[in-house]
Amino acid sequence: MYRIITNNPMCLVKYGDQVQIEYLEGKGYMDVLLTVRDYIQKKWCLETHPMTGSLKPNQTPYKSVMISDRPVDKEEFYNQEITIENGIMTCRKFQSIRKTPDWPENLLEDFQAVDLSLIEGAIQKIL
Amino acid sequence: MSKLRVVHYINQFFANIGGEEKADYQPELREGVVGPGMAFNQNFGEEAEIVATVICGDSYFNENVDSATATVLDMIKSQKPDLVICGPAFNAGRYGVACGTVAAAVKKEGIPVITGMYKENPGADMFKKEVYIISTKNSAAGMRDAVSKMAPLALKVAKGEAIGASAEEGYLPNGIRKNFFEKKRGSERAVEMLVKKLNDKEFVTEYEMPSFDRVAPGEAIKDMSKAKIALVTSGGIVPKGNPDHIESSSASKYGQYDIEGVTDLTAETYETAHGGYDPVYANEDADRVLPVDIITEMIKEGKIGSLHKYYYATVGNGTAVANAKRFATEIGQKLVDDHVDAVILTST
Amino acid sequence: MKLELGIIPINDIQFGAESKVENGTIYVNADELKALILEDETLKSVELDIARPGESVRIMPVKDVIEPRVKVNGEGAMFPGMISKVAPVGSGRTNVLRGSAVVTTGKIVGFQEGIIDMTGEGSKYTPFSKLNNLVVICEPVDGLAKHAHEKAVRMAGLKAADYIGKLAKDIEAKEVETYETVSVKEGIEKWPNLPRVAYVLMLQSQGLMHDTYVYGVDAKQSLSTIIMPTEIMDGAIVSGNCVSACDKNTTYHHLNNPVIKDLFAQHGKTLNFVGVIITNENVYLADKMRSSDWSAKLCEWLGLDGAIVSQEGFGNPDTDLIMNCKKIEGKGVKTVIITDEYAGRDGASQSLADADAAANAVVTGGNANEVIHLPKMDKVIGYPEVADIIAGGFDGSLQADGSIVAELQVITGATNEMGFNPLSAR
Repeated sequence: MYRIITNNPMCLVKYGDQVQIEYLEGKGYMDVLLTVRDYIQKKWCLETHPMTGSLKPNQTPYKSVMISDRPVDKEEFYNQEITIENGIMTCRKFQSIRKTPDWPENLLEDFQAVDLSLIEGAIQKIL
Repeated sequence: MSKLRVVHYINQFFANIGGEEKADYQPELREGVVGPGMAFNQNFGEEAEIVATVICGDSYFNENVDSATATVLDMIKSQKPDLVICGPAFNAGRYGVACGTVAAAVKKEGIPVITGMYKENPGADMFKKEVYIISTKNSAAGMRDAVSKMAPLALKVAKGEAIGASAEEGYLPNGIRKNFFEKKRGSERAVEMLVKKLNDKEFVTEYEMPSFDRVAPGEAIKDMSKAKIALVTSGGIVPKGNPDHIESSSASKYGQYDIEGVTDLTAETYETAHGGYDPVYANEDADRVLPVDIITEMIKEGKIGSLHKYYYATVGNGTAVANAKRFATEIGQKLVDDHVDAVILTST
Repeated sequence: MKLELGIIPINDIQFGAESKVENGTIYVNADELKALILEDETLKSVELDIARPGESVRIMPVKDVIEPRVKVNGEGAMFPGMISKVAPVGSGRTNVLRGSAVVTTGKIVGFQEGIIDMTGEGSKYTPFSKLNNLVVICEPVDGLAKHAHEKAVRMAGLKAADYIGKLAKDIEAKEVETYETVSVKEGIEKWPNLPRVAYVLMLQSQGLMHDTYVYGVDAKQSLSTIIMPTEIMDGAIVSGNCVSACDKNTTYHHLNNPVIKDLFAQHGKTLNFVGVIITNENVYLADKMRSSDWSAKLCEWLGLDGAIVSQEGFGNPDTDLIMNCKKIEGKGVKTVIITDEYAGRDGASQSLADADAAANAVVTGGNANEVIHLPKMDKVIGYPEVADIIAGGFDGSLQADGSIVAELQVITGATNEMGFNPLSAR
């Protein structure tokens, strides 16, 4: 079973009826990462990298991450835990430099489109 | 413009007082230059001049760190210096620690300061993040080289000029990444580095990977109601008065304390030895760092079997990794010997 | 495979009645070139401008930079699979208009970045301030989808570079550089005692505005494979990456890949440069595992002693980089990696999003968070409102005198992870 953790409305609209989506309405990039970490610590498996895209964590407000309930061994769990922790640390670092701006609506849509495209590559593989 | 006033800190050996047999030499303030100060004065030219030299034996300093630091600092401040130079200490361990300690204390007073030592001097790891430490050779044969790097950086620091990257200025990397232009582009540096690596020659990476200790998680405890739990903290909680004198930073020891029958830590009985954070809340109620009260409750409720009679404490503030590892190994063995099932490890 | 690059130094670009290259100057008939670009029906309008070294000019937002080149002889033509038919390039003779570039600018998304300053503080950090740049400013038809918009601007740049390159087909080169890659067997016979070295080139391949094309194939659809270094010089790899200006590899970087050039410089002397392995940077973790497994396997199979791995972009490519390094080192192949850093404005934070002890030989392109001060320029080519977005944005701020205080990451090519620049950090 696959699940997308996202705060990107465009992702919900496009794939909401094809994939399980946990939609974090109105939440931030960091909230998505923290939610994903909770899943990993409950033995879920990280399918896409939490730091997808070259947009900085204080630049884009959106993040979509795919996880699954595929069983992971200790080694994989360790690697995934490190990957998400590094992601959270990086996000915190950028937020401490400067908070994500309050972007106007047209820019938000652009950020949604890029985030959607990044996760789409992974979604296409499981449909 | 008048010359900058410089005070120089050196040990008994470089002051020509004597070697190991004179290492207990007490702090002394002398006017003008002594020993290696000559070389610094030559290098400073018209810009600066050593007006006084403070001398202290390495054993004396390290055995009386707090009082020696205070005395040395007072002597230095009495000269109203614009700049302080400590060492260089090369690979002399206790001298390196003394230079680092003095330099850090001077810096806290807002007086420009630098020191110099060999990269493997124990003082280097302890202080490279606090003060500029010029990387020197491992023996006094490298004095000329050391002075030629220390003097220019010292003047820059004293004048408040912009300080370049460690590779440019010659100081030990201090964890602060700084951009600068190399002579060669990155790809050429990469090819050169690879050729060295292929030929088993020494090469220097431009970025040291942070290394993380990997600890395999222990097996889960099946029945906590029968488990014996121990408390260990790096948050510095000690019986009131800090009987083992655990240092407030860069701890060199840990303490083992009997808490048999103790159900609550109070402001009258326990405190924190930890520096670097506001201790008010920890001192008010040390349970906030070492949760003896909650554990006691949980034992009463039958959730936890028992609390081990000893707890272990050290201070995690700037403590050297090597020391922390040694503490952990020793504490771990004691806990195993005492058949403790699980440990709750708390920090600040 | 052997390729000769005929170098034609360019000192100036001017608009003129006839498009030609003469005495080191490129003359461009603007109407003719515009008409060619506007054959693409997804573009509404095109403007051309020129930016020369030392001029008080800022170009932004920069999408791609492309060096004009032309195949003089040998199979295929420039940018195979993109604007010429698929045919194996990398042999024969190619003329290079050295000192010039086509720079494309277009606002595919509102937050687009990438600054080239032709003078002042910012110009020290971008290699493109030293070039004579023909800037192509593209406006799409209304309502054009972002994918199509990105493609239109990408193709416009390639077409313009191809158009200018072709002007130099019959010009005599001032000097000729020769690059040759021999077969595995021949290499072993020729240099039996030299260490065998390959270059592992990581390509950005994550999605919209994060893509790279190899002979026209989207790199995310491919497994790690082998490519001849001279094929890359003939435009076999094209950038579709428009994000993270400082550490994206433009098409210019691919054409002039510095690792390839510097490995060739040592080829037959201190090492035997065997060839190039290209691998991707996908979002799917299983893809990352697969691609890095594959590049390590190719390194082993080529019998390598050493490898250099270069990266592209920010964030998750750190994971690909570390995976590649760890696995290649695991095969007993000594590895050097090239990256850049995000150590915070004060330089005190951890630089990379991933780390491993196997990565003990690292070259860095510098800290992209370090702050620089960009003076006001007399002229802005492209979209001046981008300055406001940077100013009101996450990585910079606009000063009262019109200058911008910004992080190095806004400068195109500033912390390039192929090691294109002298910039470093400690």
